[in-house]
Amino acid sequence: MNSRSRYVWAYIMIAPTLLGTVLFWTWPAIYSIYLSFLKSENFGMVNHWVGLANYERLFKDKEFWQDLRNTLYYAVLFVPLTLLFSTFFAVLLNAKIRGLSAYRVIFFLPQVTMPAAAAMVWVVLFARDYGLINHLLGTHVAWISDTRFAMFALVIVGVWGAIGFNMLLILAGLQGIPRALYEAAEIDGAVRFRKFRYITMPLLTPTLFFTTVVLMIGATQIFDSIYLLIGKTNVALPAVRSLVYAYYQNSFVYYDQNYGAAIVDILLVINLILTGLQFAFQKKWVFYD
Amino acid sequence: MTNNQRAGHRRSNLIIHTVLIAASIVMIIPFAWMILTSLKTVTEATQIPVIIFPSHPNLSSYAKAFEKSDFAHYYVNTVFTAFMKTVFPVIFSSMAAYAFARIRFPGRTILFFIIISVMMVPNPVFYTPQYLLMSKWGLVNTVTALWICSLVSPFAMFMLRQFFLGISKELEEAAILDGCNPFQTFRYIMLPLVKSALVAIVIIQLLWSWNELQWPLIINSSPDKLTLSSGLATLVSMFSTNYPVLMAGAFMAVIPMIVLFFLFQKRFIEGVAFSAHKG
Repeated sequence: MNSRSRYVWAYIMIAPTLLGTVLFWTWPAIYSIYLSFLKSENFGMVNHWVGLANYERLFKDKEFWQDLRNTLYYAVLFVPLTLLFSTFFAVLLNAKIRGLSAYRVIFFLPQVTMPAAAAMVWVVLFARDYGLINHLLGTHVAWISDTRFAMFALVIVGVWGAIGFNMLLILAGLQGIPRALYEAAEIDGAVRFRKFRYITMPLLTPTLFFTTVVLMIGATQIFDSIYLLIGKTNVALPAVRSLVYAYYQNSFVYYDQNYGAAIVDILLVINLILTGLQFAFQKKWVFYD
Repeated sequence: MTNNQRAGHRRSNLIIHTVLIAASIVMIIPFAWMILTSLKTVTEATQIPVIIFPSHPNLSSYAKAFEKSDFAHYYVNTVFTAFMKTVFPVIFSSMAAYAFARIRFPGRTILFFIIISVMMVPNPVFYTPQYLLMSKWGLVNTVTALWICSLVSPFAMFMLRQFFLGISKELEEAAILDGCNPFQTFRYIMLPLVKSALVAIVIIQLLWSWNELQWPLIINSSPDKLTLSSGLATLVSMFSTNYPVLMAGAFMAVIPMIVLFFLFQKRFIEGVAFSAHKG
């Protein structure tokens, strides 16, 4: 078969994905940036070019800065806690114990649970008067409607949902470390801590780094649990409202699509920076075998 | 190993199991509480002090959730959307993935880059323009709007391409010599070789589609056009503190995926671990 007719086949085979991607994903991404430079009237019938006006308004908006802080605060709590617990359980599961698959299934269960449903259960668990958590702890805390605690409630739900999956990634990383290295170290008389410090840590760094970036990207996009755990009428909402929640609220509750687009484009910039960091530092300080 | 060492080993295993079992209980409590609460009466669910087991477990809350909301519609819409968002992306992506992996054609690099570049963009960035597109096509508040934008999946294409790249070229060359055209080579020779990757993609697409909240919430508001995820959100506003009904709804929404997970544990875990390499 000549190469020209192979080309034709290639174009036919990529056509659905290419056209669909451009129409439903690439064009919307570009249009979202364009929208943030417009001011729409009459439900989008009339559009005026306003330059950076939406961004100027954004940077003067105290609520936006609060939402940005909330999002970063959530990430700063959620990511290290998830990494810590996931690594801890992965190390335990790596100790060649019985029942590995049973533990794996149990820890993984939240991963297949609809976030909306999980958030509803946590609402019941966190309830101040009739909640199981206050009952067990002997406290009387309004976990989800007290501005001081709402963020912690969100982080608990997030970590609960994320441990199983990240634990598996880290476990896979641990299992990829050659046993021969540990045996050699034992012959040299290395103790457990030194083995962990000089073999496990450096060889696990690529996995931990990868996991951190994936977790960070996910954390900056938090929405579902705020929408259902905290809810729109909650007095604690301003203390936890994320960028994506603010985007949703401005675009689809207040119908200010242009302002919403400006908010979500800030999120885009944050995510591109994270992806860029991943590429830039990957070679620099990650130890590859 | 000396007796002493063996005893030490056993002791440390015991500690590990104790820690893991305690953690497992914490992980499972939300599921247990969901089921227990759904079987209670409203009075029992809001009793002080808290009672753990319902005195007369009953299913009336399930019936109530089903009657008072459009649960039958939520199920049908969710299943249909998940089906569309699984079948089409798998077919289209595998074709494109094969072409990008194995056929040299003008513009290959740039077209590939155009498709995969959207993987770096967070989902909410797409929603407003997609909404405007749906509204232009008169699709707001229709079941079609739930899946039409996801007929293609750059992510699935990217992952499958990696798999095609890893397959040796010999079989394929034999097929080409036998006169197979590229589509036949793909369909009959290559596709069967990436079966495990296809299964992983199917599972991920199914799970993502089933659990997605934000897009269904944005695009549809009529009760008969909601999915389980966005339907649960309306259940909350309808039955604010009727915990048994809320938990019955939550249970009905999660149980299909949990049953599938128990049936295909290994596949699920592999499939989702595979999705981490997005981006």
